[in-house]
Amino acid sequence: MFEFTPAELAAIALSIRVASVATLASLPFGIAMGWLLARARFPGKSLLDALVHLPLVLPPVVVGYALLVAFGSQGVVGRALAPLGIEFAFRWTGAALASAIMGFPLMVRAIRSAIEATDRRLEQAAATLGATPWRVFTSVTLPLAWPGIVAGAVLAFAKALGEFGATITFVSNIPGETQTLSSAIYGLLQVPDGEAGIWRLAAVAVAISLLALLLSEWLVRRQRGDEVT
Amino acid sequence: MLSLDIHLRRGAFRRHVRIEDAARVIALGGASGAGKTSVLHAIAGLVRPLSGYIEVEGRRLFDSARGIDLPPHERRIGYVFQDTRLFPHLDVRANLHYGRRGPGFDAAGSTDIVELLGIGHLLGRRTANLSGGEAQRVALGRALLSQPAVLLLDEPLSMLDQARRDELIPYLQRVRDRTRLPIVYVSHSMEEIRRLTGSVHRLE
Amino acid sequence: MITAGTAQGHSKRGRDRAFPRRLFARAWALLAGAVLLCSSVSGFAAPPTGRGAPLTVFAAASLKEALDEASAAYTAANGQAVRVSYAASSVLARQIQQGAPADVYLSADRDWMDVLQQDGLLDDGTRRDLLGNRLVLVAPRASGAAAIQLRPGVDLLPRLGGNGRLALAMTASVPAGRYAREAFTALGVWDALQPRVAETDNVRAALMLVARGEAPLGVVYATDARAEPRVYVVATFAPGLHAPIVYPVARVKASRHPAAGAFVTWLATPAAAAIFHRRGFRVP
Repeated sequence: MFEFTPAELAAIALSIRVASVATLASLPFGIAMGWLLARARFPGKSLLDALVHLPLVLPPVVVGYALLVAFGSQGVVGRALAPLGIEFAFRWTGAALASAIMGFPLMVRAIRSAIEATDRRLEQAAATLGATPWRVFTSVTLPLAWPGIVAGAVLAFAKALGEFGATITFVSNIPGETQTLSSAIYGLLQVPDGEAGIWRLAAVAVAISLLALLLSEWLVRRQRGDEVT
Repeated sequence: MLSLDIHLRRGAFRRHVRIEDAARVIALGGASGAGKTSVLHAIAGLVRPLSGYIEVEGRRLFDSARGIDLPPHERRIGYVFQDTRLFPHLDVRANLHYGRRGPGFDAAGSTDIVELLGIGHLLGRRTANLSGGEAQRVALGRALLSQPAVLLLDEPLSMLDQARRDELIPYLQRVRDRTRLPIVYVSHSMEEIRRLTGSVHRLE
Repeated sequence: MITAGTAQGHSKRGRDRAFPRRLFARAWALLAGAVLLCSSVSGFAAPPTGRGAPLTVFAAASLKEALDEASAAYTAANGQAVRVSYAASSVLARQIQQGAPADVYLSADRDWMDVLQQDGLLDDGTRRDLLGNRLVLVAPRASGAAAIQLRPGVDLLPRLGGNGRLALAMTASVPAGRYAREAFTALGVWDALQPRVAETDNVRAALMLVARGEAPLGVVYATDARAEPRVYVVATFAPGLHAPIVYPVARVKASRHPAAGAFVTWLATPAAAAIFHRRGFRVP
């Protein structure tokens, strides 16, 4: 029962890679956007907030199609990036991009909440001690918002692991390149004797998610230091 | 050492504050809510006055007429807050050294201040485990170690009970005498003020 | 203003308030009532039946335009509303296996219809072969690609360029993909092509990739190529290279809709056949 076919193993490895890259690459943007929405005041802020949440409300296939139009080999951005050697069409990088975009709203929400909850009075204290706004951000705001940032990363990772509609529309289903766990399961769903494979892959998906959660717990606890009970 | 003439926003009103004092240690007194903290915030750059100027030890920190408004991190003021505001994610030692500047930091001076305030035994502790008095001494040490040009103390004892207050006042006197720093001390307790300085400005 | 507490801890006072039990209970009652109301009003408990309810048809994606037109004609003639759900035949078959409320199933190959028949899910008496189709190789209109002869051993790799891909539906399950794989295997070129393939959810998604110029070549049905002005046919697969492309239709046994059987019958009438024929389908 637990013998994985090479195609299944490839899908698992690809999913881990795609989800990890998607999460880590979007983290700086998520933090920046979370800070912007939490702290800055500027005209059009609500519009920006709505735009960030678009992938959450649009059907995934629509997001995938939009990515195809923009980042495909014929797309505006795709053509601009091609000379730089950056390609998304039919590549795992495209799958990572799709996952990153779909998970972005969740990441930003969590990080924004965390930054809103940090005590601005502590930031004031840091400023009086001579810390530049950047140093205040990195030495006070970020560490205090850390649990929320980790939570945002876990959410984005989980979403990336489960992402399907946008991925298959954007980069289709190419074993070894863009066939993630979800695509593999979807394919097995349509094959009459694919049941065993589906359960195997689903079990792996659950295991990976649990590991990600455990990792996030450890990351938060480690940052808190030796808390005397 | 303090020369300021500012208009502050107080809700729907404007408040005019004028202080001209050459004494090294100055106190701002008055009932709670009279706006003393706002003046300190303005000196620190945490609040921008509607108009006016602020000069400390001959340095202009704010001048609306000339378009001068130094950001807080450039004003070289050491601020001790009423609610201590120690960083919860750093231990005592890291809090103390937060404001240290560059390689020219004076390690010996740091030991002096730690001894002065009697907080050497607290260095490895987390901030959550400090008593009110200990926390305030650490906050004081942190402000001093950032090598400020002036020390601002915003009702530092008002959150402590009488016993702790009596314990802490000698430390404040030590800081006053041994560091020779200009100090602006805010309190609603005239008794505290009397024990620290002769120069008082009352805000109504 | 004096703030209570140091910066280290948050006040716990707010959390000790008594849990608002009454509010909670009322909210639950309201929610339960709403759910019950909705189920009774919309007949949530049982699928809609009766003449007034629309007929639900599950149909292969490649039938989109033709069946839309045909079912509109049926509605105009009989006053019976029809709603069609288009997807890969494989997906639809699996959904019917899981109890999806389809009244009629129109597949793009016999295999999936056989699967349902073996499971006893079809009204066997209503099953019939309805349409035929041809498999074609298409290219984006703007590419100006020359026609190709699909002979055994034909080398398509130069046509794909450095990193271009051949778009087709999932070859393990979707009929269009299966026919394509079968044909390429018969030509002896599948092993060379397989690493250069982009498999999509259904045949229309493959069509879309070629139409957008994302894929230099794709395998779709002749009817798909006709429906999409942005592609053109560079080659037609000889019918012998793959199993005959047959679209069988049948009534789903679990269906309670009185018009289901009539609709299946109507699809074979000359009136319907004309519509399909106009769109490029082969009618027996």
